[in-house]
Amino acid sequence: MAGHSPVLEDGSLLSRLDRKLLRLERVFGLLSGLAVFSLMVLAVISVGGRNLFNAPLPGYVDWIEQAMPLIAFMGISFVQRDGGHIRMDILIGQLRGRALWAAELISVLMMLALMLALVWGSWAHFQRSFDFAAPWWSRDSSIDIGLPIWPAKLLAPVAFSVLCLRLCLQAFGYGRAMVLGLRNPVAVPLIQNTADQAAAEAEQLDGRG
Amino acid sequence: AATEWNASVWGKRRAFTENVEKIAELVSEKTDGAFTINVSYGGLSKPKENLDAISIGAIEMAQFCAGYHPDKNRLITVLELPFLGVSNLEEEVAVSNAVYAHPAVQKEMAQWNARLLMTSPMPQYNIVGTGEPRDELAEFDGMRVRATGGLGEAFRAVGGVPTSVPATEAYNAMESGVVDTVAFAQHAHLSFGTINRADWWTANLNPGTVNCPIVVNTDAYDALSDDERAALDGSVDEAIAHYLANYGELLKRWDTVLEEKGVQKVMISDEVLAQFRDKAAVPARDKWIAEMAAQGLPGQELYDLVVSTLEKTRAGN
Amino acid sequence: MDSITIGLWVTAGMLVLVVLGMRVAFAAGLAGLVGLVLVFWAKRDFGGEHLGWALTVAIKTAGQVPHSKVASQALSLIPTFILIGYLAYYAGLTRALFEAAKRWIAWMPGGLAVSTVFATAGFAAVSGASVATAAVFARIAIPEMIACGYNKRFAAGVVAAGGTLASLIPPSAILVIYAIIVEQDVGKLLLAGFIPGAFSAVIYAILIVGIAVVFKSVGPPVRGFTWRERFVSLPPALPIFFVVVIIIFFVYNPFGDAWGTPTEGGALGAFVVFLMALYRGMRWGELKSALLETAKLTVMIFTIIWGVLIYVRFLGFADLPGAFSDWITSLHMPPLLILICILLAYAVLGMFMDAIGMLLLTLPVVYPAVMALNGGEFVSAADSAFGMSGTMCAIWFGILVVKMAEFCLITPPIGLNCFVVAGVQPDLSVQDVFRGVMPFFFADAVTIALLVSFPGIVLYLPSLVG
Ligand code: NA
Ligand code: NA
Repeated sequence: MAGHSPVLEDGSLLSRLDRKLLRLERVFGLLSGLAVFSLMVLAVISVGGRNLFNAPLPGYVDWIEQAMPLIAFMGISFVQRDGGHIRMDILIGQLRGRALWAAELISVLMMLALMLALVWGSWAHFQRSFDFAAPWWSRDSSIDIGLPIWPAKLLAPVAFSVLCLRLCLQAFGYGRAMVLGLRNPVAVPLIQNTADQAAAEAEQLDGRG
Repeated sequence: AATEWNASVWGKRRAFTENVEKIAELVSEKTDGAFTINVSYGGLSKPKENLDAISIGAIEMAQFCAGYHPDKNRLITVLELPFLGVSNLEEEVAVSNAVYAHPAVQKEMAQWNARLLMTSPMPQYNIVGTGEPRDELAEFDGMRVRATGGLGEAFRAVGGVPTSVPATEAYNAMESGVVDTVAFAQHAHLSFGTINRADWWTANLNPGTVNCPIVVNTDAYDALSDDERAALDGSVDEAIAHYLANYGELLKRWDTVLEEKGVQKVMISDEVLAQFRDKAAVPARDKWIAEMAAQGLPGQELYDLVVSTLEKTRAGN
Repeated sequence: MDSITIGLWVTAGMLVLVVLGMRVAFAAGLAGLVGLVLVFWAKRDFGGEHLGWALTVAIKTAGQVPHSKVASQALSLIPTFILIGYLAYYAGLTRALFEAAKRWIAWMPGGLAVSTVFATAGFAAVSGASVATAAVFARIAIPEMIACGYNKRFAAGVVAAGGTLASLIPPSAILVIYAIIVEQDVGKLLLAGFIPGAFSAVIYAILIVGIAVVFKSVGPPVRGFTWRERFVSLPPALPIFFVVVIIIFFVYNPFGDAWGTPTEGGALGAFVVFLMALYRGMRWGELKSALLETAKLTVMIFTIIWGVLIYVRFLGFADLPGAFSDWITSLHMPPLLILICILLAYAVLGMFMDAIGMLLLTLPVVYPAVMALNGGEFVSAADSAFGMSGTMCAIWFGILVVKMAEFCLITPPIGLNCFVVAGVQPDLSVQDVFRGVMPFFFADAVTIALLVSFPGIVLYLPSLVG
């Protein structure tokens, strides 16, 4: 949750950009969460409709398939902002100072290369399903109720582009830390030692239950 | 160098994929192994994305069904209209070949960098259900039926409720009452287990079927040597003949299967069939033709082509 | 370079990236992309003028995977299962369960620890994530146990081990992931996890009572609850049973037709807990943070899923899984011995890797090999090596592998559950927790040995569904 993020902030341009992007990322993340909520609502409508009114939700599966990309992609950059994507940090966690920032920089640049390729690839995937001349601009439709699929396919390149922006910021942040030999750089996720991390995770659950 | 093609199909090897398996075998034989086709069951692409993979050039051959994504292949869906009157697999092959040969259809497939090679003819999709057989039109009212595309529309026209369930969940859906009946071809009733759950099967409802072509990537096709191309094109008829013979065996076994599982074979009266046809076939056809016309596609022409081909095929026999 | 060689080099490269600390999802995706480029380029004999073509085709092929794989009805179970867990905190279900278990069974030697195990098992029925379960109970149960005179290391070990139950007892995100990767029926797998999960809980309980009887000071009995107090504690915990019944009956109804599909069951379960949380005073602010947390965890899992599936798509083109299973089946060793070696390999790998990453990275290659070992996907029980049909073998192996993955959550040096428990209780070091959890290695080893020797424990429920 916000407040536990191991990303330092200050008044510098880099940090301000970081927080601007974070605002967008949080909106996207919330969209993901709302889409999960809508899955629940869909099921209630489907089961209720079928059993109470003999009127199953037409295209239940089609709607789920439309909602899934929203759930799966939209928050991808939000998670990367705090360094939340899973990794093994036994080795990299041993590094300190410039060596650490160099390792992080290389890792982020490789991610950026992959994501740029995937923005292209997923955009091409979207384009094949999109046709300005066709009804609903659709050249690919769902199996039961014929929903156009291009909006769902478009979500991938959109979310991936935001992630690319985030990776650029982080690459700059790590690069700057490496060049200047900083100890506590802003706008990049810092490796917490395991105890801190666990404490943060536990704190999230505080006051619930 | 040797030419190696990848062919993407899905599921497991079954009657439905025998045309691809056979053509791979024949091509390799005829070229002494210089041209091989590796048939992959789902490892290279998803069924609904086989056309995409062809278009990219990642694979050279693929099977897909028109009803999986009507917007990708509007014109071929003419073959999935309800009650076309196709009564056996030979007729299904004949109408498919005629439609595939139409320039407008080939142009639509060219968008995907795809070239139609042959069809995978499917018998009519009859329904299985539990409880009392439904053999009156009134009994279709409110019936939750697992049927997709044009077939689903046909049942909707007589008050049925087409329900979305993936084929692999059809058995569960039947068991849990999510659907009352399931429409499949015979081989699918067997491989998805719906026949094990059924009390009855409609032998002659014959509402329609799905159309599943085999396509090849145009660039890969053009890059073949003359010998290789001749081997491929020359094996199509033989592969289809093998497919038909193999499916014929399955259909022969079908009655035994019904008996073993204690499934009642329901014959629907001509009168009821005529009512169903009137309510479902004509409106669906008119709607389809109008939709195609609105997009500047020759829907009427293709529909007429199907009808005339069917007449010709029957006259020829 | 043939495609098998490419497959091996790319796989090795990916593992190096993962070990060096690149995020798993992206290391797998990058390996898959590079592998695809090489495979397509190899098709044109690595001609310089064909590199551009190979790059384009590879990028477009990889670019299909995220949407294509993620837009699936079966995968929709994962976010719903995660949401149930978060909503359950707000519904107060955790504390209610622990209270009820405590009042009914704390009187035994080690009784409070047994209560903890059973409460975690109950909470597992609404939570799909082990680490979250351990974190919650560390907060609730450890202080109580210490206050009642329990050894603090032992108390910590109980919670760390109890947390692992969440991934066997449905709902379980990790079982859904397994089902997706190996393309098996999700409902049957979830059903299959139920008895082994309960079974593990009972084995833990037996172990605890044994320890408490032998070492009297470790877990003294706690007495003094009246029958009235006991019965009063039950109603607040009841929604758990309601959710269990919904999920089970949507998959399998012993008295008749199932109520619907697993997808619907999971979502309805979440809805019940949601209503409960609303009743307990959850408002938009809390719902919003539950949704954000759900989104984060879900996105994390899905990113790994599609990243790994890009790698898997490459494996399909390189046909590495086929080659590996040919190799495994050509070994002159009893199939059961090979299976045990595979499970031991998981135990070693799991010392260092996260559970989901480990399964996703290894299953595409290991699963076909295990199936081939049994005699193939469509083998009948009579002709098989392990005495079960292909489908049943897939379910059995799934439960074994998930149990291994859970075991890895409590083994050093990277045992996430132990880290979390130590994080919650500042006076406990990670070493303390690892020491306290050690007896449970023994319990898990026994459980796994029993699951291997008596597959019926796993397969009884799914075989009822037919
Ligand atoms: Na669980
Ligand atoms: Na471990």
